[in-house]
This record gives sequence, C-alpha cells and structure tokens, in this order.
Amino acid sequence: MNAALRPAALDRRALGRALSRAADAGLADILSAPPREERHVARRIGVTGPPGAGKSTLIAALARFRLSRASRVAIVAIDPTSPKTRGSILGDRIRMDGLVDDPRVFIRSLASRGATDGLADNLPEILSVFDDYGFDEIILETVGVGQSEFAVRELVDVELLVLTPGAGDQIQAMKAGILETADIYVVNKADQPEARRVEAELKATLTLTAGAGPVPPVVLVRADAGENIAALDAAIEAATMRIAGDPESQRRRRARQRIKGIFWRRLAQTIEDLPQAAFDQSLPELYATVLTDLKKAATGRGRTIT
Amino acid sequence: MSDTIETPVISAPPLRGKRILVAKPGLDGHDIGAKVIALALRDAGAEVIYTGLRKSPGFIARVAVDEDVDAVGLSILSGSHKELVADAIAALADQGASNIPVFVGGTIPEEDVAMLLALGVTAVFTADMKLDDVVAAVAERLAERLAERQA
Repeated sequence: MNAALRPAALDRRALGRALSRAADAGLADILSAPPREERHVARRIGVTGPPGAGKSTLIAALARFRLSRASRVAIVAIDPTSPKTRGSILGDRIRMDGLVDDPRVFIRSLASRGATDGLADNLPEILSVFDDYGFDEIILETVGVGQSEFAVRELVDVELLVLTPGAGDQIQAMKAGILETADIYVVNKADQPEARRVEAELKATLTLTAGAGPVPPVVLVRADAGENIAALDAAIEAATMRIAGDPESQRRRRARQRIKGIFWRRLAQTIEDLPQAAFDQSLPELYATVLTDLKKAATGRGRTIT
Repeated sequence: MSDTIETPVISAPPLRGKRILVAKPGLDGHDIGAKVIALALRDAGAEVIYTGLRKSPGFIARVAVDEDVDAVGLSILSGSHKELVADAIAALADQGASNIPVFVGGTIPEEDVAMLLALGVTAVFTADMKLDDVVAAVAERLAERLAERQA
C-alpha cells in the first residue's frame, strides 16, 4: 500500500476496488492483514441527523467549501439495507452531483448490510483505505436513524448533528440522548420561519446539558444556497484543533470502534448460524455455546458476504 | 435412500451482494422505467445506485468507477441509444473500467439490438420484457462472468 501513499494522480479505479475489498472482507481477512504503519491519517467528519434534515445537501456544500484547503476530500454516504432482501437503493449521491466532475472529490455509497447501528459493516476498514490514498478529509453521512449518533462518535474526529425547523419536538425527545454526543449542532433550512426558534431552544437545552463544561456551538445554515457554510467550517476547524492536540486518544477511540465492529458482526453471525435445537438449552448453556462458537470462528475463514 | 425428502429451498436473492448502477444518459426526461428497474434490482438483493436524469456518459463512467459497480444499466428512451451507448462504453474504457458489463434498456428497435451488442453491450432489454425476466437475465450474465473469472 505504500506505493499508493500520496500518489501524484489518484487512481480512482484502484481506490474503488480497494474499497470493495475492504467492504467485503471477512473476519479472518481483517485479522490476518499486516498491521498498518503510522502514516497519513485523514480527518473524519461525521454527519448525522434525522432523514430529510438535508444531510447530503449540507455535505455537498461543506465539501465544496473545505476543498479550499484540502487537496482531496472523500464523502462516504450510508443508506439502509433491507433486512428482507439485503438489497438497497443508494441515493444520497444524487444531491452531490455538482461534485462529481471535481477530480479532488471521491464519493462512495455504502449499504449498511448487517450493521444495525446506522453505520455499515467493516466501516472502520473502509475508512482507513482513504488514509492509504492520501485523502485529507472524509465526510461520513450516516443513515440518520436509530443509534447512529452514538456509533459514529468513536469513528470520527468531529460529529455534526443536523436538525431542521420543526424539530422542536425532536429536541424535547432527544434531551437526554444525542444532544450529549455531537460536537457541533447545525440548524439547516435557515430560511424557514421556525429556524431561529429551534436555534434558541437548542442553545437553551445544550446549556442545561453542558453544566459547567463548554457549550457546543449551534450554527444556522442554508445548505441548498450555501449560506453560512463559512461559519460551520470555522466551527469544525475549532473542534478539530482540540483533537489534533490529542492524537493518542483519537487512535484509541478508533481502535475501540474497530474491534467493536468486528465483534458485533461476528457475534450476530454466530447466533444466526446456531442450529434451532441450540435454543432449547438453558440460558447459561446457550451463552456457553455462543462463546465456544465465537472462539472457533476466530480461527476459521470469514465469509465475504453473509 | 429410496425416498428423497423434498426440502423447501429458500434461495438467496439472485443479486445479493452485487452493486449495480442504473443510469439515465441523454436528454429524455422519463425515468419511471429506470426507477422501476432500480426497485426490482433492489428487491433481488442488489445494492443499486441511481444517477438521476440527464447524465453525460463521462459522468456515468466516473460514478461506475468510484462506486466499483458490478454492472451498469443504461435506460434510454430518446432514440439516440447508438451514440450514448458508444460514448458510455468509451468513457468506461477511458477510466480503466472496460471490464464492467453494460446493460441497455428502453425503447430500442429490434433492428438495433445487434448493433448495440456489437458495441460491447452485454444484453439489451426492450420495454415489452417482463421485469422478472430482466432481473433473471442480469443475474445470469453476472454469474457467468464470475464463473469465467474464476475459471
């Protein structure tokens, strides 16, 4: 992979294929891969928020803005996989059409596959491929439902939560939850009359939640018109400044997320593979069976797509 | 072993794990067909990326390469299929992806099918074909290609 480090020209075909290999890799492939040496690390910006909040449009505007200082920006957008057919429609990139002709941008759509946390199988492995190809930044769009706000936290350096006017009720419901995880709160569709009120409510709630700690910034934007993206960009810079000073905890957070992802997937598969009769056992017996199977799986080959 | 017990075989969706780009090149503004196909492919287990209307062949090839798809489906109703298909295939080759199979669907006159196949198209689907048959044909061609590569 070293030859691919900061290549003069980006080999998009090779990168595209490397991403597929990372996405399809089985457990054994991941565990037997040679350890990565210390090298270029792309900054990761996570974008979460409910469906319809304008995440894709915001990401397009943000990427365009950040290209003024980054030489290569990746966008990874996750859409849900149907649990029934395992198929999916990956439609986020339609809102990023304007970026496709820019050779500095690489957009990749992912299906969540087996992941139930709003992210995708093998996501840590997929993201690190962009490190190998010299990207400065990765903007990650989650599915936007369920637990993605929490799961993405450990995988990114900065997390943005995007809300819209009319989200007043959402804020009420989320007080104890995701309002504790994001670094920056974005109120999109600032042209709508309710936007100011949502911003104020959000600030009030965040001040309560923060206690004695710093209150995270709330930025009002209009993604479709590119309005106030500069302020959001500045907030991201300020937030990443803090992280840059602590590379060790960043490295540890990523390692933790990586091992978690591998185990969730393996565990789900192990339980899925149990014969029906296994469920006649008592709970402690069943627990022991799963543990034994997990150990066996660690030495066997992983399946590519399950 | 005189009696064989019929066990119901629940087959995996035929396109599970495949990534397919459904694209609309050219100027016609009708994408119902493309959307119907996209949903049928999804229901067959594929991960489907849809480009939206009026995309250039170069744009389509770029998306196919970045997304590393297993197949590209071009939906064309404008009548200019010859130029659009030739350009799309050339653009894929330009970007190092001549090995991605291209399928074409839409209002394609019978007499043009051979010409499209000669350009390198893997299969042509006309509007009168049943959706299930289209999905089955795509799955079959992709399975054949996989077998060829492994041989």
